[in-house]
Amino acid sequence: MNRISTTNSARQKAFVAFLYALFISLAIISSALLVSVTGGDWRAVLPALINGSLLKPGRWGQTLTEAAPLLLVALGAIFTTRMNLVNIGQEGQLLIGAACAAMIATRGSGPFVMVFAILVGGFAGGFWAAIAGVLKYWRKVPVVVSTLLMVFISTQLTGFLLTKKSLLLDPSGDRPNKTQTSAQLTSSTRLPYIHIFGNQFSLAVPISLIAAFAVLFVLKKTILGFRLSVVGSNARVAQRFGLSERTAGILALLVGGAFAGFAGSLMFTAGAANFRYTSGFANNIGWEGLLVALVSRNQPLAAVIIALIFAGLRTGSSFLASTGVQREIVDVIRSLLVLALLMPPAYLFLRENLKKNSVEGDSK
Amino acid sequence: MTTDYRMSEVPKSGTGVQASVPLVELARISKNYGHVVACDDVSMAFHTGEIHGILGENGAGKSTLMKLLIGLVKPDAGTISMNGVVQQVHDPQAASRIGFGMVHQHFSLVEELTVWENVLLGEELKFNRTRARELVGEIGERFGLVVNPDSHIRDLSAGMRQRVELIKCLRRDPKLVILDEPTSVLTPAESEQLFPTLREKVAIEGRAVVLVSHKLSEVIRATDVITIMRQGRVVDHKPTKSTDAVSLARAMVGREVSLRTEGAALGVLVEQHQISHRLTGTPTLKTKPMRDVLEISEVDVSVGGVLKLHNLTLRVREGEILGLAGVEGNGQRELGDILSSLLQVDCGSVKVNGNPVSTSKHGAMARSGIAVIPEDRHDSGVVLGMTVAENLALQRMSEFTRFGVIDDAALIANAESLIDEFEIRCDGPRAPLHSLSGGNQQRVVLARELSSKPKVLVAAQPTRGLDVGAIEYMSGRMEAAAGRGIAVLLISTDLDEILHLSHRIAVISSGEIVGTLLREEATIEKIGLLLGGMAI
Amino acid sequence: MASLAASGLTPILNVLSSATMYQSMIRFAVVLAFAAVGELVAERAGTLNISAEAMLIGGAFTGAVVADRTGHIAFGLICGMIAGLVVASVQANLSHRLTIDQFVVGLTLNIFVLGLALFLDARFRPVTDVASKWRVPGLAKIPIFGEAIFGQPWPMYLIVPVVVVSWFVLFRTRWGLEVRAVGENPQSADVTGIHVNLRRRQTVYFVGLTSGLGGAVLVLAQIPINGFEAGHVGLKGIIAISAVIFGGWTLRGTIFGCLIFGYFFALQQALPSIGYTINSQLSGALPYLAALAVTSIFAAHTRQPRALAQPFVRGLT
Repeated sequence: MNRISTTNSARQKAFVAFLYALFISLAIISSALLVSVTGGDWRAVLPALINGSLLKPGRWGQTLTEAAPLLLVALGAIFTTRMNLVNIGQEGQLLIGAACAAMIATRGSGPFVMVFAILVGGFAGGFWAAIAGVLKYWRKVPVVVSTLLMVFISTQLTGFLLTKKSLLLDPSGDRPNKTQTSAQLTSSTRLPYIHIFGNQFSLAVPISLIAAFAVLFVLKKTILGFRLSVVGSNARVAQRFGLSERTAGILALLVGGAFAGFAGSLMFTAGAANFRYTSGFANNIGWEGLLVALVSRNQPLAAVIIALIFAGLRTGSSFLASTGVQREIVDVIRSLLVLALLMPPAYLFLRENLKKNSVEGDSK
Repeated sequence: MTTDYRMSEVPKSGTGVQASVPLVELARISKNYGHVVACDDVSMAFHTGEIHGILGENGAGKSTLMKLLIGLVKPDAGTISMNGVVQQVHDPQAASRIGFGMVHQHFSLVEELTVWENVLLGEELKFNRTRARELVGEIGERFGLVVNPDSHIRDLSAGMRQRVELIKCLRRDPKLVILDEPTSVLTPAESEQLFPTLREKVAIEGRAVVLVSHKLSEVIRATDVITIMRQGRVVDHKPTKSTDAVSLARAMVGREVSLRTEGAALGVLVEQHQISHRLTGTPTLKTKPMRDVLEISEVDVSVGGVLKLHNLTLRVREGEILGLAGVEGNGQRELGDILSSLLQVDCGSVKVNGNPVSTSKHGAMARSGIAVIPEDRHDSGVVLGMTVAENLALQRMSEFTRFGVIDDAALIANAESLIDEFEIRCDGPRAPLHSLSGGNQQRVVLARELSSKPKVLVAAQPTRGLDVGAIEYMSGRMEAAAGRGIAVLLISTDLDEILHLSHRIAVISSGEIVGTLLREEATIEKIGLLLGGMAI
Repeated sequence: MASLAASGLTPILNVLSSATMYQSMIRFAVVLAFAAVGELVAERAGTLNISAEAMLIGGAFTGAVVADRTGHIAFGLICGMIAGLVVASVQANLSHRLTIDQFVVGLTLNIFVLGLALFLDARFRPVTDVASKWRVPGLAKIPIFGEAIFGQPWPMYLIVPVVVVSWFVLFRTRWGLEVRAVGENPQSADVTGIHVNLRRRQTVYFVGLTSGLGGAVLVLAQIPINGFEAGHVGLKGIIAISAVIFGGWTLRGTIFGCLIFGYFFALQQALPSIGYTINSQLSGALPYLAALAVTSIFAAHTRQPRALAQPFVRGLT
């Protein structure tokens, strides 16, 4: 009896691995096809990506630095998903966090100012997301709609901040190319870097790693995480026992937004855009961090790995210019990968369910 | 099959005497779900003009058989034949084309749509409002089931909704009409109306009627012939006239059954004198003075602009079981929700041991010692995705944490002792809750609620869908709780259960308490009158 | 006192009576309506498709490229519809056949389609011109509103058949009845023999067709483009969803919502041309702020289809 079951589970695991390999290959092949159909050289893409993300000097440090904010955003999203809330506004929450951090950090200098700025950035991002929570519980606005609209609003808002010297615009006037940016951070207010083996990465990297374990611990082992899970799984049971869906929901959004805000403020103090806040600062980190969370099926440790892969795609893509393939191909590859990684669990779930019901055809 | 609005000619037929060739025959049907055998080599025949009862407790295979007949599920082996010709029932549309029609217990009407729209749903009829409304009238008249075609389903009582179900079913002119526990949503008066309709109007027109049920009284009253199923097999088949409750019960459960003690589980009315004999044995009631533990006073509640509870006043005393009888949809759900902190009262009060309890604060009811076994455990009783241990600890989790961190060992130990005490069958405390059977999930709820040392236990439809053994267990536990001094409020639509367990009975109708009786003075007729006064 | 009121009133009156504003408003409203009316049908079935955005983008880009290369606007419109349908079929089959979360699929599609469009834009660089106008003689001369309603480029009028078809199909056919039943109570619908997920997929195909058409109309009948940019569609798909919510999931309400949001987009575009300036970030944020405000006001009072955004798997609910 035992032997049969182990063979079965080994076979099952092999099948699952096969499914993943199949879909990932499909994604890669489609991307390659797309490149060649539009006149590019698909054989050059992979080496360029690997060089850009790992092999060339200083690159893996860069990849790690890119991965940190991705991971932070993903962790926040994982937390919020526990409450079954669909927060897709991380891009905006990141912007708000970075802008607020910038407003404070550019007005002072020294490590205390830096830490204060980072904290404020986090809270600002949390606050921005919490607005969506208030709207949901007070006015029944779907979180998916409000957070998305607020991305656009935050883009305009931070753009506005950049037009006023009293707010974010660099008062000193020696802005590069006369673009709208904030002042540059003084060296004492910058996040320190760790230098190893000729590479360097910011302190944000270990911070985000610690955060990953912290999130895992809180969700799995603490009573807070337990209560959150209860409210997220069955709000009525929770209400019976005094756990308020409203409080838990707003808390979940607050934490999710705060993580995105921290990602933004850490990005800024670590040197994104050369220590200046500019429009387009978020650079899609918010969207991609969200995708990391989705792909890692809300497991914090899986998110670490996926964040590294996605960061690799980003840093690798800067080496694509020399191959003649546009950078946007990376967006396509990334989305295809996401879809590819979502298919196997869905397929398995469906098969299980069909077996249970023995109804022919799909889930009609 | 009729795709237009004219119904087929009414063929002449006998008066309920068995014709020689069966209309529908099930031959050696088997169906497995993984390792679970739902139906095992089942064979039956249904004749025109006959009302055929399929009797079996919950879990005996009746519902699988029904699903097979209407095409929701396919058999692993065996055949279904109509007039001698084997049929393939692929899906509900095919079943309808062949001539199998079912009157569902729940889950077939869309509340937000009107009667005529619901009658059209799933049909192959042209979308024509006038014609559909006329049709509802025609069928209503022909079968004595009058309903206003323009009413919205959400405004109709359970009895009226069943009429719409019947109209929907009969519109398709089925040869075989299957009814699934039809009297569970009716008042006794409405049940009395249903059976003659079935016999005189439906069966007489050359149709066969199948009545599937787990209640002996219903089957004995309404059918001509009975097939008894047990654990997926057919165990007996006899004309109704030639059998009685005791032998049916024995066949259904597989052992000697005392109707006195297990009558409620079997849906049999127990004689007056047998109950008094049981009740006098309860010490608490005789020796201690009766003190009100739960007081619900003059409660009004509106949901969505509709008044659901009106001036509701109820008192449950220490150590007593108060049975709240009523047809579904008369405010029981709202009462249960109030006592679960899921609904706020508009006016009135709830008190436990004289202390008022807030109806607007989450968790206040539970904190003041009110335990609830909810009507729908999946809705507000358990968290399906969590483990048994977690479900058993739910509200007491803080007892198992230190400095905010969960002490896994303590959690598991608690679970193991409760699993033992309440005989919960599962793969251990870490098993996910959804892997447990319905009866065992109910035990988890019971265990958790009782482990919080409550003063009041509210049990809403606690034995719905359970097999005889599980029903017995739950009933025993409720009596034991009362014996320990807990005030038990039993909310049930099952009159047999109410009569079997309660010391006192209150009847709820349209959100008000219309009468309270001691068990000794309660009879089906009296309760029926109280219920039926507001029926339809 | 009176002069103070007058000085405040005059700009408002000027804006309200400006024909340019109304022309602009109708243009935006119509594009929103293509997506919103289709999404209304889809939401009545219980689906929520944030990928309406991707369908708009797909329709816009494909329509532009085809019209540019073939020189015929009609081909562009048709191919736009097909592009929307393709995007919709991904959403429909992944979410309502393979049970992958519809928000996840929608989000991924939005990112994917935008990325694909920008990627291909470098290769194709579509350039379009606004289609010729169809002026209804006489009616177009009505002051203020005339040009706006009766003097638009001809593809804009396609919204009329789209609205009529949507109304008819949803409320006067058996298919529509089944769709509405599926959105309110899929379990009951299933038991009566309705193919729940099939109906849902069909409504997603529908919004794909209408949104694809809407996207094509945007680039072929509204704004001439020189290469596709992200800002052309700019979250109009999400605003369409807000319009449906604002309208309480009714057809009339949805159209009214599109008009309101159209007005805010118009403010951003047309105000400068009638002589008023407004902070550019504020005007850029206005439509989205308005959508947020409007949704906040109306979502609490309206009744949504009971099964909205709840996936259906037989036996699991």
